[in-house]
Amino acid sequence: MRWTLRPSTLERSIVQDKNFLYTIISFSTILVVFFNLTSFHYPLIGVIASIIFFVINTVFLGNAFFEKEPLFFRFVFGMLLFIMLLGFVGWLTLIIYNLDATRVTLVLLVVATSSSLLNRRMKHRHATS
Amino acid sequence: MPPRKHGSATYLRISELLYLFMLVFSFYLLLISRTGEARTVWEVLHPLFIPLLFATTFILFIALFTSEKAAYKLLFVIAHSILIHSFFSIIFPAGDLSGQQMVLGRTRLVFDNAVLHGWAPWPMEIQSQVYEWFRGMTFQAALSVVFARMLSVDLLRVHLFLVPVLWSTFIPIATFLTTKALGGNEEAAVLSSLLISAFPYATYFGAISVSDSLGFIFFFYSLYFMLKNLDSENSRIKFFMVAFAFFSFLSHSLTGIISFSFILLALAFKSYRSEKSSPLTAKVSLVISFLLCTSLLPMSFIYVRFINPAYSAIFSLNKLYELPIEKAVGLFFLGELINGFDVKTIILILIGPVIALLSMIYLLIFRRNFNAEFRTHILFLFAAFFIVLIDYRILKLFMFGLPLNEERLWVFQDLLAAPFVALAIYGVFSWAQKFFEAHSTPTVSFVTLKKLRKSSVLRVFGLLLALNILLAGWITVSLSAAYPQVAPLQTTWYELEAVQYIEENTHEKYVVIGDQWTIFAGEVIVGVNNPRAYYFLEYSKTGHDFFVNMTEDPSPTWMLLAMNKTNTTIAYFIVTEPRLDTEEFNNVVSKAKAPENKLTTFYVSDNKKLYVFSYRKE
Repeated sequence: MRWTLRPSTLERSIVQDKNFLYTIISFSTILVVFFNLTSFHYPLIGVIASIIFFVINTVFLGNAFFEKEPLFFRFVFGMLLFIMLLGFVGWLTLIIYNLDATRVTLVLLVVATSSSLLNRRMKHRHATS
Repeated sequence: MPPRKHGSATYLRISELLYLFMLVFSFYLLLISRTGEARTVWEVLHPLFIPLLFATTFILFIALFTSEKAAYKLLFVIAHSILIHSFFSIIFPAGDLSGQQMVLGRTRLVFDNAVLHGWAPWPMEIQSQVYEWFRGMTFQAALSVVFARMLSVDLLRVHLFLVPVLWSTFIPIATFLTTKALGGNEEAAVLSSLLISAFPYATYFGAISVSDSLGFIFFFYSLYFMLKNLDSENSRIKFFMVAFAFFSFLSHSLTGIISFSFILLALAFKSYRSEKSSPLTAKVSLVISFLLCTSLLPMSFIYVRFINPAYSAIFSLNKLYELPIEKAVGLFFLGELINGFDVKTIILILIGPVIALLSMIYLLIFRRNFNAEFRTHILFLFAAFFIVLIDYRILKLFMFGLPLNEERLWVFQDLLAAPFVALAIYGVFSWAQKFFEAHSTPTVSFVTLKKLRKSSVLRVFGLLLALNILLAGWITVSLSAAYPQVAPLQTTWYELEAVQYIEENTHEKYVVIGDQWTIFAGEVIVGVNNPRAYYFLEYSKTGHDFFVNMTEDPSPTWMLLAMNKTNTTIAYFIVTEPRLDTEEFNNVVSKAKAPENKLTTFYVSDNKKLYVFSYRKE
C-alpha cells in the first residue's frame, strides 16, 4: 500500500502510535532539546526538535479530547491544550523551585508522558464505546 | 460540498496566491520599517504599507466569500492577524514601551535563574507569595521560559511574539466557533474571525505580551464552551468550560473573575431554560444571578486586600461629587473616551460594540421565531455584554484605588461584540442580495454566476466590491486607533547597546543608576532587581532619587550609596540626551567628565546621545 504524506494520514499514524513509535520520537526530541540547551545552543536544532515535539503531542491531545471535531479544529484544540499543559506544568515547576535547563527537560517529559498516556487511554475508551 | 469545476478552482488558487504574495510583501515592508529610534509605529511605517494592507485585506475578504474550505480561509485569516498584531514586535527592537517590558523584566530573572519560586527576588509573606503565583505573570513567565529553552533562542524574541502569535492563532478561531454557536453559518463565522481585527482595543491587547492578553484568549474559549453547555449535558464540555476559566484566572485575575462570573450566569440561563414549573420564580432567580455576576468583579477588588494589603480599592461617590455634571454624564456614557480622544478614534472604538448591541436587540426582538433554537445563547451573551457595560461604569465612577485601568474591560466588550457584528453584516448582505434578486447564497461561485443574467452578475459583484472595500477600509483605519498616535520615545538601539555593553564587560556585581527609560532597557537584557546586575524597579522612588541627585551633582557619593544599598562593587550612571533636554544633558555630561568627580567614562554611543559613567568601590 502506498503511503502518502497527507495531514489526515499523518494524524492517524500518530494517533495509532504503533509500538510507541511516536512517543519514542517525542522523547527523543526532548533529548535533542536538552543536549542543545546544555551544549550546542543552535536555534535551528531547537526549532526543528520543538516543532516535531509540538506536532506529536498536539495530535495526541487533540484526538484524546476532541475526536469528533474536524481535523483542523481537532488540531487547533490540541494545540491550545498542549500550550495549557506546558504552561501549567512549567508554572508548577517554577513555583516549586525554578526553570533551569534540567527542570525544563523534566517539564517536557511530564507533558510528553501525559499526552501519550491520555492518547492511549482515550483511544481505548473510544474503541470500547 | 460539490466538486469544484476546474476553471473556478484555478481562479481561486490565483487569488489565494496573490493574497499570499501580498501578505509576504506586507511582512517585508514591516520588517524594513524596523527602527531603533521612534515614538510611534506611524512615524516609521513604510508609506506603501497601509495601502498594501488595505489591498491585502480586500483580497482576503474576497477569498472569504468564495467556496474555499473554512479551514483554509481560517489559515489565511490567522496569517493576516499575525501581520496586524506584530507591529510593535517587528518595528521596535524591544517591543512597545509598556507593561510588556515590565513583564519581560520579571521573566528575565526566571530565565537567568536569578530567582527561585518565581517573582519576587526578595523574601515575602506566604499570602503575598501565593498572590504573586496567581497573578498571571508567573504563568506567562513559565510559558515564555519553557518556549525559549525549547527553541534555544533568547527570551526577548519569544516574549515579543508570544501573545501576537497565540492571539492571532486562537482568537479568530474562537470568534468563528462562537459565531457558529450563535446559529451563524460558515460564511458569517469566517467573516467574524476577520472582523475581530477591526476592534482597536482588542487589536492592541493582541499586540502586547502581557498576561491579560493570555487571559483573554482562555476567557474566549471558556465562553465558547459556556454556549455549548447551554444545550448539552456532556460532562466534557463542562470540564473545558471550567478548565479554560481556570487558565484564564491563572493568566490574569481580571479575565478569570469575569470568566467565572459568566459561568455562573450561563448556569443560571441553563436552569432558566429547563425550568418548567413557575416562570416567575425562574425569572426572579435569573435576575438575582445577573446581579450577583455583575457584583463579582467590583467586590473582588475590595476583597483582594485580604491577600495583598498593598491594594486598597474602595467604593466611593467622591468621583461623582468632584466632577462637573457634564463630565460625569460624559464618563457614564463614553467612559475614558471623553478624555482627549479625537472623534475618529471615538467612532472607531464605539462602532463595533454599537453595531453588536443593535444586532443583539434586532435578533432578540425581530427574529424571535427564526432564532428560537439559539435564543438562549443570544440572551446569555446580551446579558454578559451588559455585565461588562455595567461593571465598567461601576469601576470608572464608583470606585477608587483600583490596581488596573478600567478600559481593559473594553476588550471583553469587543470579544462579545465581534460575532454579532459579523451576523449583522452578513444579514444585511444577504438581504441586499435578495433585494437585487441576484443570488440565493452569498458564497460567490463562478459556476452559479454563469447561470445568472449579465446585469445580475454585475449587481452581485458591485455589492461584493462595495462590501469588501468598506470592511477592508474599516479594518485598516481601525489600526490608527489600535496603535497609539502619541507615545514617549521607545527604547532606543543605543540604550539597548549600552545596557548590553555593561553586561558583557562587567564581571562583578553592579548597579545602574538611570531614568525609568534606562530601566526599561535594562529589563530587556538583564531584568529588574537582578542581584547580579541591579536595576531599580520602574517606579522605585529610591532609584528615581539617585538619578535626580546624579543629574544635579554627578559625584561618587550617590554611586557609593547605591552600591552599599544593593551590595554591589561597581556603579554605572547612564544619561541619555533625548530623555533630558539637550542643554541639561550637556551640562550633566560636562560635570560628570570633570576630573574632580573621579568618574570614568565607560561607554559613549556612536551618535553621542548616550553616556555611561562608572565608579568602582575601592
